[in-house]
Amino acid sequence: MIPRFLSEGPALLLKRSISVLVVADTHLGVESALDSAGWHLKSSSESRLQRILNCIEVTDPDLLLILGDLKHSVPRITWQEHTELPEFLDAIRRNVDLRLLPGNHDPGIERYMEAEEILNKNGVIIDGTGYLHGHTYPSPDLAGHLIVAGHHHPVIHLYDEVGCSLRGTPAYLLSEVNEKKLRMVETDTPTRLLLVPAFYEYAGGIDIRTIPESGISPLSRSIRIDTAEVFLQDGTYIDTLGSLRSEAHYRPSA
Amino acid sequence: MLPIFHSLLTMKERHGFSALYITPLRSLNRNMLSRLTWWCGELGLSVGVRHGDTTMAERRKQVLKPPDLLITTPETVQSMMMGSRLRQHLGGVRHVIVDEIHELADGKRGVQLAIALERICEYAGEFQRIGISATVGNPETVGYCLCGRRPFAIVEVPVASRLSLQVLFGGDRFDGQVEKIEDAIQGRGSSLVFVNTRSVAEAIGHHLIPRGDVEVHHGSLSKEVRIDAEDRFSKGQIRTLVCTSSMELGIDIGHIDHVVQFGSPRDVARLIQRVGRAGHRIDQISRGTIIATGFDDLLESLVIARRAVLNKTEPVVPPCCPADVIANQVAAIAVERGECGIETIRKIFSRAWPVSDCGSLLDDSISRMEEHRLIRREGDRIIKTGRARKYLTTNLSMITDERKFRIIDYVTRRTIGTLDESFVVGWIHTGAVFITRGRLWRVLEVLEDAITVEPAPKSMGELPSWEGEQIPVPFEVAEEVGRLRRTRNFSEYGADDDSLAYINRILSEMEKNRTPVPTDRLVMLEHSKEGVIMNICGGHKANEALGRALSILISARYGTSVGIEVNAYRIFLRLPKTVRAQDVREILFSLEGEHVEAILKIAMKKTALYKWKLVAVAKKFGAIDSDAEYDKISLHRLSEHFDGSIIEEEVYRELFSRYMDAGAAGRLITRIRSGDTEVQIGALSIIGSEGLFSSRDLIAPPDMDQAVIAALKRRLNAQEVILACMHCRKWKRKTILERVEEHPECPKCGARLIAAVKPYEEENIQIIRKKTKTPEEKDVEKKMLRSANMVLSSGKRAIIALAGRGVGPDAASRILATHAHGDGFYKEILKAERKYITTHRFW
Repeated sequence: MIPRFLSEGPALLLKRSISVLVVADTHLGVESALDSAGWHLKSSSESRLQRILNCIEVTDPDLLLILGDLKHSVPRITWQEHTELPEFLDAIRRNVDLRLLPGNHDPGIERYMEAEEILNKNGVIIDGTGYLHGHTYPSPDLAGHLIVAGHHHPVIHLYDEVGCSLRGTPAYLLSEVNEKKLRMVETDTPTRLLLVPAFYEYAGGIDIRTIPESGISPLSRSIRIDTAEVFLQDGTYIDTLGSLRSEAHYRPSA
Repeated sequence: MLPIFHSLLTMKERHGFSALYITPLRSLNRNMLSRLTWWCGELGLSVGVRHGDTTMAERRKQVLKPPDLLITTPETVQSMMMGSRLRQHLGGVRHVIVDEIHELADGKRGVQLAIALERICEYAGEFQRIGISATVGNPETVGYCLCGRRPFAIVEVPVASRLSLQVLFGGDRFDGQVEKIEDAIQGRGSSLVFVNTRSVAEAIGHHLIPRGDVEVHHGSLSKEVRIDAEDRFSKGQIRTLVCTSSMELGIDIGHIDHVVQFGSPRDVARLIQRVGRAGHRIDQISRGTIIATGFDDLLESLVIARRAVLNKTEPVVPPCCPADVIANQVAAIAVERGECGIETIRKIFSRAWPVSDCGSLLDDSISRMEEHRLIRREGDRIIKTGRARKYLTTNLSMITDERKFRIIDYVTRRTIGTLDESFVVGWIHTGAVFITRGRLWRVLEVLEDAITVEPAPKSMGELPSWEGEQIPVPFEVAEEVGRLRRTRNFSEYGADDDSLAYINRILSEMEKNRTPVPTDRLVMLEHSKEGVIMNICGGHKANEALGRALSILISARYGTSVGIEVNAYRIFLRLPKTVRAQDVREILFSLEGEHVEAILKIAMKKTALYKWKLVAVAKKFGAIDSDAEYDKISLHRLSEHFDGSIIEEEVYRELFSRYMDAGAAGRLITRIRSGDTEVQIGALSIIGSEGLFSSRDLIAPPDMDQAVIAALKRRLNAQEVILACMHCRKWKRKTILERVEEHPECPKCGARLIAAVKPYEEENIQIIRKKTKTPEEKDVEKKMLRSANMVLSSGKRAIIALAGRGVGPDAASRILATHAHGDGFYKEILKAERKYITTHRFW
């Protein structure tokens, strides 16, 4: 399988026998939630849609897979979501087949989507790769596969000798997992996990160094830290998570 | 006030508030009330006070039966304009007195008040305006702020000629300095001791309160405690009040014989204002003593005292068309009227001098506020929305108040201190490390009003927390201090023997250490443990601009973050060890004066100062509520949302007028480039290490690639590599890349045919030593020979390339063939790694 990292997303294209465009955590309608938290920003749904359509245009995928948290508000659907979702989804459907792995922010999304567009929230295997949102235990079927998940909003901060040189930039985490912690049977080929950064641009995100202890999902606890690898949204390799977490990381660079 | 009373009494009929007395402070209001109550009682006029502390009952009474004279604050004027009955009462205004107007005119509060007065005019018609100001360099400007283009007259009371100032050196130790204060207040009747911060006021109070005739007075104390101290002082029960700027404005606490200023007053206006509290009558001399506490402080005090006597007071600089005030007042007018034609607003604004030329700013502000749903626009009218009133009640004031965040230790669940909102906005993200109370803490979580932290081990990139903004020292003062360091005519400045002895001690020590004294004509770049200190007498704002511009250029050229700390006499650049004073000097000479502002604009956005100001201005625009929850959003990515907006424009306007002086920085650079000012490099001197840096920030590399390349270099340097001699095949060495020489040689045979092998390929070295090899083993040998040949011709560069993730001899030779240098070389490695990851790896 060949991945392609689209930094203009962030999005990921995975190609084997079909090509699947993966986007995670769009959080449509987040502006009305921010509004009640004191942040009055105009809706960015249109610009998020344009970013998605742009990714579709440059990759021409067979399928667009949204890795959950398509919308933001729980448990009730807001007026903003009710008015924006139909057009947003139709615009995508006009270009490509659409599937959703429902996330913890997606209750009520059934009203806006066809039944076959909504996949099992515990994960599915498409073209040999496992996908799920990531707030639940993954389905046992995913054992031995690469599991691609959202939910964690990973970001990385880079430091140099003087201070923080790059703050909170979206990042991918690729790691082998401890199957036991996911209630999976061990398989011949190791089960691996790829955490995809949030598409939603105001996400503060979780410092990738702290994800294993964050306790926000079973997946986060299953990460094998020492060999896990960190990539930027364009696929640039940064380092292993083990090394990024070690004290030695803070040594001066040449 | 007497002519106004006369006017009020001779008016045919009075309705509403006939006169408004506006002061910047509630305490001043209370004080005025007690002074005017007697007069009004005798004259049969009614007087009242209305501000934040006024009870609901009192407020109601004022609505039903308005007093003839109302004492109030600019913010309360704003809130009164929201009520229909009170607006009617304001319609009766015939006189407005603005007390301590210099204090207001200097900032956005003054602009807001100027517009408010024009809004009152809409109901009351023209009225008499009287401004009472401390000595300022440009009274006309203050007059324009008050009156707009209406004719006005200035009545000046000469102050400088009545000043009697003395500067003393207080010694190095705090105990000694306090003794000096005691000497100064001894036998002088009543004294005010002014200090610059609350904590110093407390420390001095701690020493002196046991005497029994001293009290402390500052803004953190409760209203009752302050009023009690004021009362006891005016009754003569205590003779000395240790105070901060809380006592600067004209609160009448009876006769004051003498004023002590502890530490430099920072600017001339402040000194005159403070000392003016003594002998506050037209025929009396105002006596003041400055007790200086260090080398910078002493010279600065001498210069400021002399400039005060020469009447060189700084001008008041009113903000010119601040967009957030415009937005605030548009919302206020919308709420006041329900709906309003834009032309009417423009007419009101055109009479208010600070915004009279606002032009398209008004339209831009209106569009932006529409986006925040504060108003709706219908044709050429604006209509208030449901949000507008709520916005206005929380944004009556243009003062930026900072929330405090508690710091909670996650381990013990105890509160260990507080952080200012500006620090939280600028620096705090989960994982950030900062210093407070002398310990390092790592941020675990940002909550609504608290930050949870855990103790952190030593790491790079930590920052000390700070509190509050400092009073800037003007360019002219700092420059004159530089001249005084050069001419050394301290006696002409009235330095006494103690001061002279101290100054000479410092200067002779500088000479003994062979460290030149930086002056107005000499900039010294000094190496310190963590970076370079640039000694330059530019004052706060010019140094701030220059320091940031330099940092931006350094960070761009060397791809590193640069930490900066600035005060009036030096700029401290925290740098990696590889960047030295010579490099700073070279960059300084490459900088052109007129480019400073443009350079600053490139990189301001990622800094703590910009983010904090952005939040502050966005709040006034109604984009962010004053109590917005910071845990809900990424502040640092939010700033992109405001790119190109009027909010961003206002942030720049404020930064370049209030915090930085790009023009003055440009002049400093021009002098350096023309040779008028010399630049030398030297060791850390005692003047250079005289610390107390008042503003801190970090300039990150402008280009994301540079941060990534720095991370790559660090990863590669720590990479394990095995070197094996392909000539004698007897030697191998396991090391990390950082320790590898430029052209490694085999210590056994002296050959330079050295293969670089990845640690997991170590067994390959056994293979090449075999006498007979399988075809596969021959391939391994061939691959290692390729690697060795690359190292032979390109040296360490080849080894670096080969250390890349998944980079084998083929990819490495492609990297070397590009002949890319510096960052370009590392970018090629990153490219090869990306290619490997997407094409050659198992996914």
